Amino acid sequence: MSAVWTAAWAAVRRRMLQTIVIGVVVCASTATIVMALGLLESSAAPFDKAFATQRGAHLAVAFDSARTTAEQVRQAAGQTEYAGPFEQATVDTSTSPVFMGTLTVAGRADPGGQVDRLTVWQGRWATAPGEIVLNRPPGGGEGPTGHGLEVAAAGLPKLTVVGFAHSVTGSADAWVTPEQVKALHPTALQMLYRFPDAGTAAEVAEDQKSVTQGLPEGAVLGSLSHLTVKDKVTSELGVFIPFLMIFGLLGLVVAVLIVANVVSGAVVAGFRHIGMLKALGFTPGQVMAVYLVMVSIPAVAGCVLGTVAGNFFAKPIVQDAVEGFGVTEMSFAPWVNAVALLGMPALVISAALVPALRARRLPAARAISAGTTTHTGRALRIQRWLTGTPLPRSVSLGLGVPFARAGRSALTLASVVLGVMTVTLAAGVMMSVTGYNNAVRPSYADRVEVLAGRPQGLPPMMNPAMGEPPNATLSDADDEKMLRSLPGTAAVLAISELETEVAGGTQNATIFFYRGDIGALGPRVLTGHWPDGPGQVVVPSRFLNQRGLAVGDTITVQAKENRTALKIVGVVLTNNDDQIFADWSALSVLAPGTRAHSYQARFTNSTDRATYTAAIAKGDSGLRVMPPRDGSSSTGVIIVSASITLTLVLGAVAALGVFNTVVLNARERRRDLGMLKSIGMTPRQVTAMLVTSMGALGVVGGLAGVPLGVAAHQLVVPAMAHAGQADAVDVLMEVYHAPALALLALAGVVIAVLGALVPARGAARLSIATVLHNE
Amino acid sequence: MNNDAVVEITDLRKEYSDSTALDGLSLTVRAGEAVAVMGPSGSGKSTLLNMIAGLDRPTSGSVVVQGTDLGALDETGLALFRRRGIGMIFQFFNLLDDLSALDNVALAAQLTGTAAGQARKRALELFGELGIENRKDIYPARLSGGERQRVAVARALMNRPALLLADEPTGALDSRSGEQVMDLLLDLNQFGQTLLLVTHDERLATRCASRVVEVVDGRIAREQSLERTP
Repeated sequence: MSAVWTAAWAAVRRRMLQTIVIGVVVCASTATIVMALGLLESSAAPFDKAFATQRGAHLAVAFDSARTTAEQVRQAAGQTEYAGPFEQATVDTSTSPVFMGTLTVAGRADPGGQVDRLTVWQGRWATAPGEIVLNRPPGGGEGPTGHGLEVAAAGLPKLTVVGFAHSVTGSADAWVTPEQVKALHPTALQMLYRFPDAGTAAEVAEDQKSVTQGLPEGAVLGSLSHLTVKDKVTSELGVFIPFLMIFGLLGLVVAVLIVANVVSGAVVAGFRHIGMLKALGFTPGQVMAVYLVMVSIPAVAGCVLGTVAGNFFAKPIVQDAVEGFGVTEMSFAPWVNAVALLGMPALVISAALVPALRARRLPAARAISAGTTTHTGRALRIQRWLTGTPLPRSVSLGLGVPFARAGRSALTLASVVLGVMTVTLAAGVMMSVTGYNNAVRPSYADRVEVLAGRPQGLPPMMNPAMGEPPNATLSDADDEKMLRSLPGTAAVLAISELETEVAGGTQNATIFFYRGDIGALGPRVLTGHWPDGPGQVVVPSRFLNQRGLAVGDTITVQAKENRTALKIVGVVLTNNDDQIFADWSALSVLAPGTRAHSYQARFTNSTDRATYTAAIAKGDSGLRVMPPRDGSSSTGVIIVSASITLTLVLGAVAALGVFNTVVLNARERRRDLGMLKSIGMTPRQVTAMLVTSMGALGVVGGLAGVPLGVAAHQLVVPAMAHAGQADAVDVLMEVYHAPALALLALAGVVIAVLGALVPARGAARLSIATVLHNE
Repeated sequence: MNNDAVVEITDLRKEYSDSTALDGLSLTVRAGEAVAVMGPSGSGKSTLLNMIAGLDRPTSGSVVVQGTDLGALDETGLALFRRRGIGMIFQFFNLLDDLSALDNVALAAQLTGTAAGQARKRALELFGELGIENRKDIYPARLSGGERQRVAVARALMNRPALLLADEPTGALDSRSGEQVMDLLLDLNQFGQTLLLVTHDERLATRCASRVVEVVDGRIAREQSLERTP
């Protein structure tokens, strides 16, 4: 064991508290950074890998076979690499033994080709009539888990599942032979393209223009860019990345500050120690090494633990997302862990380097005779001025303490500022997530959801726990009238649902047709206006973002044989990407004569839910009142839980930074404290003096940290919303109000006082005799 | 140069911004000698000791210890010189509080590259010789003043230095402990250890030293060879 190691290890044991502080802060920041980097990598890597392997389509376009021909689309493609045209049909499986929704089925002779090379991972490709291959991610996912199943639809031939294949860009839900698809009444032609330059949305739009040039007006039913697909598959994890990244960075900065503070403190307090080491024969380099090794021990331990913890906690979040690409065992790319394991100790050692260099340069004779550094004239002048103020003496003395060690106080203040910033940011994120959750998943405390029947395209409910399926006995109009007439009813909304296929890729969506008190119970319109005609719809921003659409664009939807173009006239605040909202008047075009499948009724505050529910059952025994919904989302729960955890950890670490400073201050001032007590200062006054010294930093830290936290929130939340393909709406952004800000500013004082209290009380209990005798 | 000189100081000056600590001092210490440097506070005694130990650098003049001109060494060179060439004893012991007594002593040998086991073995021998073997696992804070200084002496002797420097070695001790340390230093010198001690204590000087050098205002004011008192 070398002398450097012996001296460093002894210093580690002696400074156990500081060692633990460094270990904890490095562990926390490493874990968050590993999670952020791991999620960043995991969110995109499986898709990119599968896309490259399959030579995925940069663009999938559905053409109207009534307006153009296969030959025309082939010619329009020119020299571009493509697969297709494949005839494409829509199959409603609501009467199938296993419900699979509305399937987009393409007629394809084989799974290979220049573009969209499908991976048949179970069974075989469809080669004969009556055979079908389903698009499923390898190794899992919901739905059928074996081949031999049957797909049946009214008026169409029965199809037996002979295999499962996977298309990373989701070019179709299922494939049959080109001959078979003709029996499924195809209405579109599918073309899958690969372009030399398709890295941006603008490039893909240009590419689309080039391959559809010269085709008849209205020939393009819809299209789907690989960028849109990628955004969709990465959005779930993407939400966490900005959030974890900012917490990770805050953790890193706090780690650097704490390490710099601890090592500076150790150097300043250890002048005699340094002098002794040099007198013994330690070279300047060895003295520096002692201080670097001292800090490296907890840093490396914290880093290893943090890396393990980061992998452990990220696993459940990432696992679901990567399973869809056939990855059964999640592990981050080696670079993620390598960056953490090498980068974090390097960062910590860099932070320790400046004070360690000071130790290296310190002249031995001065160090051994001085014992510690001297206070500056500025500190003495401030202390003199404070003495003249009418403040209690313990308070005025305490207020002067931070100026005696300006560098240490600055580092401590920075820790408090970052602690308050973290608390402010985390509180803001929690308020944003909760506010958004409440907006998109409203509380059902004052309303009931009533089912009246089965929407078209959905199978009968098979779950015995759900009881008898709803089957309204009254007409739609009479049910609405009955609900409005019930005592306590405040508003009623009638809803009809229709499963449709949106042209371009495999994009199913449900259209909700609303009638009644839309303003009170319908979704909030963020931009544009609520549909005021049959050809208009409003959609959530995720719907637009995932399809590369904008307000004013027109989409083509198909329900059974009915196809219609709908103009998007507004954006509504909901979180689903597959929902479209329309006025009741639009229902007559796509599904004439359809009744409301459900109602929402809001009742007044004085109305009892059970009584109200009973009254509905009495009014129409065929209606079923649903139990109140759980309004929470798993993403929201994870973000809120992570926010609380990270806030507590970083807040505690900031408090530990204060703790460390008070310990150092008290140690340096042992003689002063002994002298003050010897002339009559009570232990309570000593405690007050030391707590005040940090409380002052807490006040300043609170005032500086809150605006920084708010600014970080204004950056992070839009990034999270963007990653989740939503917009930074007011419920997300406008969350801070004056009382909350005032409370958050107090967090600085809380951190400072909590950190200072224990060492201050310890210092107050010092025995005068011991202190003065030791000196 | 005197062939048996362990320390040879020539025209040594040390100036600070507002004072002169050493003002052209010259001194030679021969092998086996025990030299006591005395003088009033601020006369330059401790500065002289620091110069000989290579802890501080002169403004001018030279310090040669065992043939090595300290002015020619850089910081690392000085550290290597201190490791092997000298042992130091301080008034306030300057033991590392976070190491046990034995580890404090062994550390000096470890610095020279001696294996930890061997260093501890040699340290134990010294503990035996100094009569503190039963205190080896105790931390400095729990040792008496005399015991701490014995540990400090053991540490200073660990690498068998040619020169032992002592700065007020009995200054922080009660009279009984001070006596014990005096005896120890005397014994060491009688076994051939060259000794240079800085002290205010005339009794220590007359008992342990073979020569007393009195420094006043950074110069040697008087030099006297002594018959040691029993």
